[in-house]
Amino acid sequence: MARVGVFVCFCGANIADFVDVPAVVEEAKRIREVKFAIDYKYMCSDPGQQQIRDAIVQHRLTSIVVAACSPRMHEKTFRKALSDAGMNPYLLEVANIREHSSWVHQKDKKAATAKAADLVRMAVAKSIANEQLHEISVPVTKRALVIGGGIAGIQAALDIADARIPVVLVEKSPSIGGKMAQLDETFPTLDCSQCILTPKMVDVASHPYIELIPYAEVLELDGFVGNYKAKIKKKASYVNFKTCTGCGACWQKCPVKVPNEYNMGIDKRKAIYTPFPQAVPNKPVIDARYCTMLTKGKCGICSKVCEKGSIDYKMQDEIIEREIGAVVVATGYDLWDPKPYEEYGVGRFKDIITSLEFERMVSANGPTNGVPVRPSDGKVPKNVVFIKCIGSRDEAKGIEYCSKICCMYTTKHTILLHHKVHGSHSYVFYMDIRAAGKGYEEFVKKAQVDTGATYLRGRVSKIYKKGDKLMVRGEDAQIGQVVEVEADLVVLATAVVPNKDNPDLARLLGVSYDKYGYMSEAHPKLRPVETAKAGIFLAGCTQAPKDIPDTVAQASACAAKVCGIFAGDTMKKDPMISTVNKEFCSGCQNCVTVCPYGAIVTEEVPMGHGSKEMRTVAKINEGVCQGCGSCVAVCRSMAISLAGFTDPQIINEIVSI
Amino acid sequence: MEAAVNNQLVSIEKPEIVAPPDWEPVIIGILCNWCSYAGSDLTGTSRIQYPPNIRIIRVPCSSRVDPWFLIKSLQTTADGVLVSGCHPGDCHYISGNYYARRRFLVTKKLLNFVGFHENRVQFSWVSAAEGPKFAKVVAKVTEDIKKLGPLHLYKKENFEK
Amino acid sequence: MDYTNQIREIASKLFAEGKIDVFVGYRMTGFDENQVPALIRDPNEVSKLVFTDKSVFNLTNYLKQDHTRNKRIGMVVKGCDSRALNLLLTESQVKRENLHIVGIPCKGVVDENGNKMQNCIECIFPNPVVFDEMVDGTPTGSEAPPYQVNTDIQNIAAMDLVERRAYFEEVFESCIRCNACRHSCPMCYCAKCCIDQETSTLYHGANTTSSAFHALMTWSLHLAGRCVDCRNCEKACPSHLPLHLLHKWNEQVIYENFQEHLAGVHEGDRGAFYKYSMKDPDDFIM
Repeated sequence: MARVGVFVCFCGANIADFVDVPAVVEEAKRIREVKFAIDYKYMCSDPGQQQIRDAIVQHRLTSIVVAACSPRMHEKTFRKALSDAGMNPYLLEVANIREHSSWVHQKDKKAATAKAADLVRMAVAKSIANEQLHEISVPVTKRALVIGGGIAGIQAALDIADARIPVVLVEKSPSIGGKMAQLDETFPTLDCSQCILTPKMVDVASHPYIELIPYAEVLELDGFVGNYKAKIKKKASYVNFKTCTGCGACWQKCPVKVPNEYNMGIDKRKAIYTPFPQAVPNKPVIDARYCTMLTKGKCGICSKVCEKGSIDYKMQDEIIEREIGAVVVATGYDLWDPKPYEEYGVGRFKDIITSLEFERMVSANGPTNGVPVRPSDGKVPKNVVFIKCIGSRDEAKGIEYCSKICCMYTTKHTILLHHKVHGSHSYVFYMDIRAAGKGYEEFVKKAQVDTGATYLRGRVSKIYKKGDKLMVRGEDAQIGQVVEVEADLVVLATAVVPNKDNPDLARLLGVSYDKYGYMSEAHPKLRPVETAKAGIFLAGCTQAPKDIPDTVAQASACAAKVCGIFAGDTMKKDPMISTVNKEFCSGCQNCVTVCPYGAIVTEEVPMGHGSKEMRTVAKINEGVCQGCGSCVAVCRSMAISLAGFTDPQIINEIVSI
Repeated sequence: MEAAVNNQLVSIEKPEIVAPPDWEPVIIGILCNWCSYAGSDLTGTSRIQYPPNIRIIRVPCSSRVDPWFLIKSLQTTADGVLVSGCHPGDCHYISGNYYARRRFLVTKKLLNFVGFHENRVQFSWVSAAEGPKFAKVVAKVTEDIKKLGPLHLYKKENFEK
Repeated sequence: MDYTNQIREIASKLFAEGKIDVFVGYRMTGFDENQVPALIRDPNEVSKLVFTDKSVFNLTNYLKQDHTRNKRIGMVVKGCDSRALNLLLTESQVKRENLHIVGIPCKGVVDENGNKMQNCIECIFPNPVVFDEMVDGTPTGSEAPPYQVNTDIQNIAAMDLVERRAYFEEVFESCIRCNACRHSCPMCYCAKCCIDQETSTLYHGANTTSSAFHALMTWSLHLAGRCVDCRNCEKACPSHLPLHLLHKWNEQVIYENFQEHLAGVHEGDRGAFYKYSMKDPDDFIM
């Protein structure tokens, strides 16, 4: 027989002014199972909680109902009071008589009191069906997987590793560094990108807690938070990294020249190459698409010149498996292809380039030694037109969102142009200048003064060729006139788009993604780095366009979250999750289909006691289940129950009114 | 497969049973924890007043609501039921409310088919920020049920409190 | 419609080739003109098999039972039966490799009075959607005709609310809670059922109108999007309750509102409650 204790709170005047609290207590006492009922001014205060603790012992109570404020407010407080008295904390039910009665029926005390009594009756009925629940502890593998070795991945990996947690950093290309390694200087302070990035890259390579796996991709991720198993494909590099010293003899002698991705195809690299001089690891790889030894079986020069004999043309892809506790996804971004802007002559006019091409040209280690040149004739441009929002904020041709970084890097480009080309002039066509960020507005203002750049608010309608110049026709909305600018070079600030592999990777990880391909955070404001899948976190442009400071901040936030998971040997989890009664499960697997977390798998159990015949039943992975109850409602055989919200509990509430 | 199907049902406006003068309907509100329950708490903290007929049951997600809770409610204690969840796309559990929406529609139509006015079971999406909306929804449901009158169709015969 | 000879031939062939342990078909009752299901285990008994327009029962019901579990089964299926079979396959209740399905290009079966059954008149899948061989050798493939609204549903829907309530109150009153509907339904295979007395007395009260209301409503919602309209339940009901009304109504609501296929038409297609679309109707929600 259940022995329920009911504790009704005055909440000062908050409840007592509008609900007849003693009457509620009297009403509660009339319920057969209620063995003790009392009111108090502030149930949540220490003396209030002491009354609960005392009554539990004195009256041998089996469940507790506190009629007070919303359970979202003080459920945890009262649960703790129960545990302090040696009672299972989940035997508590809260009747919400403040938010749901006294505060919303202030004009009718009688009705509010009757409703409060009903709410207490419902809570008592539910509490009778409450079960003792225990926090679930899930063992964790203390190793993090970071996917992507750009600044986001580097920062996350370093922060996690500094907490002495092993990190596996997987990078798709031969070197870490990402897009940031291609940048010259960074806004708004104009510090050299390489100078601040390369020390971090070296730290990654030398960190005892980081296992760097370059030139590799994640193939599979199975399991759940704390217990993932990752399958990683290490692509064949055809160079033995263990023996290679990175001397560079191979790529110097290689006869095959191909466009250099690092320099946006402005110059050439070899078929065996290191992406850039500061690459980490600084070991070359053979690009199997172009190497004639691999495609046609002819050449072999690199093998001949390699003193260490590190070249291995027979190398195969390698599959590596790692046990992982948490994942940080930092796959970065791509740039939007401006081809749809036909009226600008994109593709027809060589002297229209993208911002990243411009960035490479003005870089000290770039293909033109830091001086921008016109691709058509190699001359140094004097008048340069920068056009912003190419693809961004353009529903018709591109994407709807603002790419966030273009205003700032275009400002930076006007400064770089001003510094590198004497007597040059910048024209900037813009829609708005969005300079929200620490020091950003000041940076833009100062740049406008220092460079004397002409800012034209309006969209460019057409670009056409006049002699060897490009005529840029657009509207200056501020004077309401069409303007034409004679340009030597046109630079398009193309939109930021997610890495094209994002949707595939998201599916592989079981993370949702939006219509553009950005992976979705669990909550746009309050859980910005978590995904809906526990233990998988997002850093940088994987989630949305971001500049470097935001990316680094988010990466560190991911690291903090990962370290949180690894803080103990096991993870504590709310016990309010689903369980399957195997006896009743018919194995139809409809629950498997509806579970949003993939938490339900199947297992084979004997048909009957001692039977050799097997049947399939559902099994809930308690590490993954988040306790939504979708499976419970679709289980026709009532084989699944959700702790804390079982059928008997809810039905008891319904029938007890 | 094109088909001319028509499942519009005839409804009546007059009270089903004449209510005693002091009769007040009992309405069961089943709210999801993350949006609607939080929204109803906000109604409280904002002191927005609404009729006192609703009795609220908390569930984690609208997808936890098995149709038989609605049937059970009407069969035993309630004159009407309100189920409320997160707006489509806002589900705390990603997709729960989409599954729930399908079941609700079929349940509502089936109840109507066997002779329950369509306003006996109602549904709403109320976010955690929509305190005023929750009060409006409750007021509307209460008014609807009051118009319909008491529902003691099957419950009088055997159900013992 | 008489495929008796073809079915006997096929059954003999399957036994001779050693492909099956048991053949499930129809035999005469032996005392009247009606037929009952026959489980033939002995090749010499295939002559008991018949198939005419009185072969009404949906035999897939036997697939979920212990005496056919994990045996290799030959089975006769009509269009509606094959849809049930498809759902049983989708819901992992049967192993396809254990089955040899003999399809009947069904022209409709008749009731006790010799009249063509209502569901057969409205049937849009007379040909099996899954089979290993057809009795007359011709492959199916004609496109399904448009969805037909059940005339009984139309009649009920035309009543006003009070009449509908009165009508169904009588229906629920007549229910004796024998659960024959559940037992005869090929889609009901749960070990624990919402209409069982031991489950339901806890909440439903005893054998009453109220509990019948609760049980039949919940049961029909469990079959919503899964009912294949074979009407085994109605044939089994000793009170002759019009159970198809609930099922057909749900089917129609689901068909019209969610643009779902009818239950079991495609293999792998689960019931309508186990999936969703962003475009599902939302206007009934405040």
